[in-house]
Amino acid sequence: MQRRDFFKKLGCAAAVTAVIPMMSFAADAKKPAGPNEFSYEKALDIITGGKGAKASSIVSLKAPAIAENGAVVPITVEVESPMTKSDYVKTIHIFATKNNNARCASVHLTQANGKAMFAARIKLGSTQDVVALVEMSNGSFLTAKQSVKVTIGGCG
Amino acid sequence: MQRKSLIKIKPKTYKDGEVVKVNFMVMHPMETGMRKDKKTGKIVPAQYINNVKFDYNGKVITTMNVWESLSANPVFTIYMKIDGPGELKVTFTENTGEVNETSTKIKPKG
Repeated sequence: MQRRDFFKKLGCAAAVTAVIPMMSFAADAKKPAGPNEFSYEKALDIITGGKGAKASSIVSLKAPAIAENGAVVPITVEVESPMTKSDYVKTIHIFATKNNNARCASVHLTQANGKAMFAARIKLGSTQDVVALVEMSNGSFLTAKQSVKVTIGGCG
Repeated sequence: MQRKSLIKIKPKTYKDGEVVKVNFMVMHPMETGMRKDKKTGKIVPAQYINNVKFDYNGKVITTMNVWESLSANPVFTIYMKIDGPGELKVTFTENTGEVNETSTKIKPKG
């Protein structure tokens, strides 16, 4: 065997061993994962510290029942609160439960707001629930939920 | 890169102590990092706003942590209590570390 042939064979073997694990890896990951993938359950656990939240009529979440375009879904969260020093809304979290990154926004309010409200437009990848999680100043967690039907997804 | 942004206050004329609606809008693509460029086939890198801060006369009213799930050209709406004349400043940071800001003058009447 010549020295040239030997190196050729060596190169081929190296290429094959390099490709095989890459292929198996590609088969495992069917969906391309986003840069910051985050599930709704994980986010809820971290924010509430494992306590969970209870549904409340104080929190109102407005979202369209059917969204034609998932790329632009207007949502509004309003909380009935006097917004005084002793009783105010600390944070409003918004989640899209089935999105790759479930977290949409965390809004930290103060008494200077006068009224606890937040509105924005979000992206929804598929038909799913939108959840508003509200943290009150006394440490309790309240939540409101609405399902939105999406005809054309807005992610990816 | 300088982003086009705008603050709108509703109603246009307001009094001292009144609670008004504040609309803040930005021209921004809000790339998720999952979309493919149709011509080149490469994934477009993520670029989104991740922090918004509302500052009224040097006092922070509201801060927001935001992720890529917000729509392109996002609009943020909150309420604010008018507390004397001054300036409302909004600072927003992108995941690339870029910082932009806009401001508007607050002039209560009566």
